[in-house]
Amino acid sequence: MVYFINDIITGALIGLLYSLVAMGFVVIYRASKVFNFAQGELVIIGGFIVWYTTMEVELSLWLSIPLSLVLAGIVGYLIERIFLTKLIGESVFSMVMVTVGLLILLRGVVLLLFGPAVRPFPIIFPLKPLFLGDMLIPMNLLIGGIITIVAAVGLSWFFNRTRSGLRMTAVAEDHVVASSMGISVKGSIAFAWVLGAILSTIGAMIFLSGKSLTFLASDIGFAALPVALFAGLESIGGLILAGVIIGIAQSLTTNYLDPLIGGSLGSVVPYIIMLAILLIRPTGLFGWRAIERV
Amino acid sequence: MDPSGIFPTSYRTDRRVVRTRWQAIALALFMVLMLAAPYLASGRIIAVLNMMMISAVIAVGLQICTGYAGQINLGQAAFMGVGAYTASILASKTGLTFLLTIPLAGFSAALFGFLFGLTAARIKGFYLALTTIAAQFIFHFAVLNLPSTWMGGSNGITVPPAELFGLRFVGETSQFYMNLVVASIMIAGAFGIVRSRFGRAFVAVRDDDVAAGIMGINVAATKANAFLIGAFYAGVGGALWAYLIRFVGVDQFTLFNSIFFVAMIIVGGMGSIVGALVGVFIIRLIQEIIATVGPNIAESVSFLGGDIVFAGMNVILGGVIALFMILEPKGLMHRWNILKSSYRIWPFPY
Repeated sequence: MVYFINDIITGALIGLLYSLVAMGFVVIYRASKVFNFAQGELVIIGGFIVWYTTMEVELSLWLSIPLSLVLAGIVGYLIERIFLTKLIGESVFSMVMVTVGLLILLRGVVLLLFGPAVRPFPIIFPLKPLFLGDMLIPMNLLIGGIITIVAAVGLSWFFNRTRSGLRMTAVAEDHVVASSMGISVKGSIAFAWVLGAILSTIGAMIFLSGKSLTFLASDIGFAALPVALFAGLESIGGLILAGVIIGIAQSLTTNYLDPLIGGSLGSVVPYIIMLAILLIRPTGLFGWRAIERV
Repeated sequence: MDPSGIFPTSYRTDRRVVRTRWQAIALALFMVLMLAAPYLASGRIIAVLNMMMISAVIAVGLQICTGYAGQINLGQAAFMGVGAYTASILASKTGLTFLLTIPLAGFSAALFGFLFGLTAARIKGFYLALTTIAAQFIFHFAVLNLPSTWMGGSNGITVPPAELFGLRFVGETSQFYMNLVVASIMIAGAFGIVRSRFGRAFVAVRDDDVAAGIMGINVAATKANAFLIGAFYAGVGGALWAYLIRFVGVDQFTLFNSIFFVAMIIVGGMGSIVGALVGVFIIRLIQEIIATVGPNIAESVSFLGGDIVFAGMNVILGGVIALFMILEPKGLMHRWNILKSSYRIWPFPY
């Protein structure tokens, strides 16, 4: 029973990590109506920036973490300036295809810059797990979960209550209408990408803390995708619930079903949930109702 | 636009694919050149042509699904994989002739694609693209986790060579002719599909699905059909691939391969069969150049090792997709069509 509860808690915390990465998807979508397929690549770029500032330049963590976040923001801004500003007003297809192009472009750039070598990632959160009776909770995931919840509440408030957040919501509704109302579509999209890159870097720190870093870590982007869709692409607060549900489902499948069937069903469970939710309720749990249906 | 002096006098002539005498001559010349290629060119070029023809079948399928029917499909490599696995299982377990395994591979891939196309009845736009990504992941999962006696698991399957009347299709040259015949049939078929009732329905749904529905087109069925046809082409291409490589493994059919196919139709131009062929030619050529030049560069920048080919391919393809979407979203065929109409009306400016 203790193990069962432990599995649930660990699953929920991993789910919260997915939520944080998925928040990158949602923030970019919420402020620019662009679905960013290259989210996982932003995570590894963030990871490499953190690795570079702490392990290569050997700054102390207190200096390197803020610096990494700033650098990640600059990378996000540059990506937006080079590729996405030019596509304002173009079809959804163009935007989606550009982010798909970015997905392989950024992966190639990371490979060219850093090579395929496996690198030790700095230990940002204490390695020692938290013991609760017989239960064992990884420290990085626990702190990460708290960061995720704080970020979700804060961003949710920002997008739903503040004036500038609501402007961005208008941009997500319609580029042309928003710009004719005097809202800067460019500024909104730029802000979204800066924020998306920063969130991805935080995600990378939690995910990779004390582990090893290769370009393959970008798979977390596709692992987080079902969470974003399950919550509905417009809801930041809903990500928490969606992440927890998917994390627990995955953890229980991995620990109890996989030994029975002798496979790794756990890695596909999020996708099965995603397909089901797309078919039953395409808007996700908390998404806006305005999805066009056939 | 037709050149002066060419005007259709019946619906039959209006629907022709080959419209002028010069086009007919060029097509005949091209086919003769292709037939003679094994005697003219070296083995390396034949190997590249083999890859190009197989990719052409798959890219043409994607062109019908994405370019004509407007359904974003990021799972073409998974559909190709289903075809490749079907062909290799049938060939290695039951010993069926390739005359049967290739169409059966197409049908099984079509069924798989149709299942994902059915979601089009509920969702559209890039949500649909996400379900095709799910197809990619589910394909991987199925191959790796089903009992390895079924699909070989992570070991892959070795494929026996294609055989007809005691003649074994081994070696690049004999496979070249096999690929040429199949690719010609499939591409000719694609020209037929896109000007048929189905093809016109695809274009109508792509341009405005609400209007298409009002005109009496069954929109959901049309979208599912588009996936069915696109996946059929992918399956046939996958079967050819299986016979060419003589080995299938799950790593040959990744999301990256799907993106390569999307890159091909973007470069060539959406909504044009010839465009898909042009795109295949250009992308495969770039890939070949990188594969040739890459190792030389790798020697000078040694820390990358063999990964420079993969990395360089990603950078160039990703850059090409983004640049074309930003600068030339209609692809190279659009430029060619502008050029064609300007020389046809020469010396008049318009």
